[in-house]
Amino acid sequence: VPVTERELLSAAARAAGLRLSAADVVALLPAWKRYLALVEQLRAAAVPEETDGLG
Amino acid sequence: MGSAEPLTSAPLVQIASSLRRRRLSAVELVDAYTRRIAASAELQAFITPPDKRTRQEAQRAERRLARGERGALLGVPIAVKDLFATRALRTTVGSRILKDWVPRSDAAAVARLRAAGAIVFGKTNLHEFAYGVSTANPWWGIARNPHDSRRSPGGSSGGSAIAVVAGLCAGALGSDTGGSIRVPASLCGCVGLKPTFGAIPLNGTFPLGWSLDHAGPLTRTVDDAGVLLDVLSGGDAGRKSRRAPTRGLRVGVLKGSIVENLQPAVSRQVDAAAAALRRRGLRVREVAIPEMRWTVATQLVTLRAEASALHARWIRAQPRAYGADVRTRLQLGSLVAGADYVLAQRMRARIRAAMADLFHDIDVLLLPSTPITAPIVGERTVRWRSGAEPVDGALVRLTAPFNLTGLPALSVPFGEAAGLPVGMQVVGQWDDEARVLAVGRLLEAEAPTLTLPRKREREISR
Repeated sequence: VPVTERELLSAAARAAGLRLSAADVVALLPAWKRYLALVEQLRAAAVPEETDGLG
Repeated sequence: MGSAEPLTSAPLVQIASSLRRRRLSAVELVDAYTRRIAASAELQAFITPPDKRTRQEAQRAERRLARGERGALLGVPIAVKDLFATRALRTTVGSRILKDWVPRSDAAAVARLRAAGAIVFGKTNLHEFAYGVSTANPWWGIARNPHDSRRSPGGSSGGSAIAVVAGLCAGALGSDTGGSIRVPASLCGCVGLKPTFGAIPLNGTFPLGWSLDHAGPLTRTVDDAGVLLDVLSGGDAGRKSRRAPTRGLRVGVLKGSIVENLQPAVSRQVDAAAAALRRRGLRVREVAIPEMRWTVATQLVTLRAEASALHARWIRAQPRAYGADVRTRLQLGSLVAGADYVLAQRMRARIRAAMADLFHDIDVLLLPSTPITAPIVGERTVRWRSGAEPVDGALVRLTAPFNLTGLPALSVPFGEAAGLPVGMQVVGQWDDEARVLAVGRLLEAEAPTLTLPRKREREISR
């Protein structure tokens, strides 16, 4: 079971068919964390709209 | 015919007119530009500079002019960003992967330039695959800002902006996916127009993000941008803009969180631009678009996914064929979940609707093109009171929203800060380029464009 952010990223990259070296993972990690934070913002912003269709 | 050298930095409109009246030789003009390109090699503006075939094109143009033939751009040298396919002329897209690609036909935009008589005047440097805003190209050279070679020209159409500002061509063609025309125009001090999405056909243009890509001109004046827009789009917005009334137009000056972090000098120029438009009889007021706070995330998810879809095979098979920054972006994009892309498109629809609503109450929106002036090459972070921001993110913060929405947006030089140009952005309703250009022309008249430092001009014109 992946436990660290680095391991999570490595697992996601493998699943996407990317061949990443350990150095690649280190280089990608800050951008990936920033990306996840931005996506989280979008999810939070979309919540009220998503509930509109449940009624 | 007069000497070509004094006209190398003249507006395109003046160059075209001088060629038509036979007061200027197309061959001498091409020779003068070629000398200037050789003298400014340090700027790394070109990947493929004009060669003897270009001179032959000029000779043909000269014969046509002598016969009295007419064309809006007959004999006018236009530099082309090296992601537009050019028949029998290498098109690298700023990459190593396509270093030997010689297309069999022209991109639609290039074909339109040629049909109007333009001379395709070399292929300009860009960020690798147009995927970045520094034009620090690992394969073709780190492009430099003509005002200060320690600084970045911006990108991805950095070479096109340099060529225009340094007087290495009469005008240039660029592309803009998150700000790639307007950012270098702002940092180098020229006019850059991203028209309405779809106004200029993109066939034969190497894509970056299909739903965000736009083609457009970089020029020394707003008039010049209008002339090139009409040729490239087949429309008449440029011509119309010259007689479009501006008195009484409603101008919204953008406020809100997205413009909170600006260099003080940039902020002062926004106030000066608003005051200038007020003096010219436009009705100026402050406006806010709360949905713009989602544009950074929406643009990032959309572009990462679209670019990685395009590069899916290469980034998996030969990741080392990319430079480090582009490789990281493409690898990250390969991890974007389909659901997140859909989420971003839903948010994009909300942003678009908010802007459509706003344009019921205003005619044009005014904001800076970039929150900062040209950064030092390699600088990674901008520090604000509220925290740090990546330079790349800051440079597109105010331009990318109009790639998401497809609204026409013009960057016009407006004053300077410590010897560096400041760019002001005028955004209009969809297909309303005429008004955007008309308001841009007012700003242009109020703030003369920053000229090159004398030392640089002496070096280039030697």
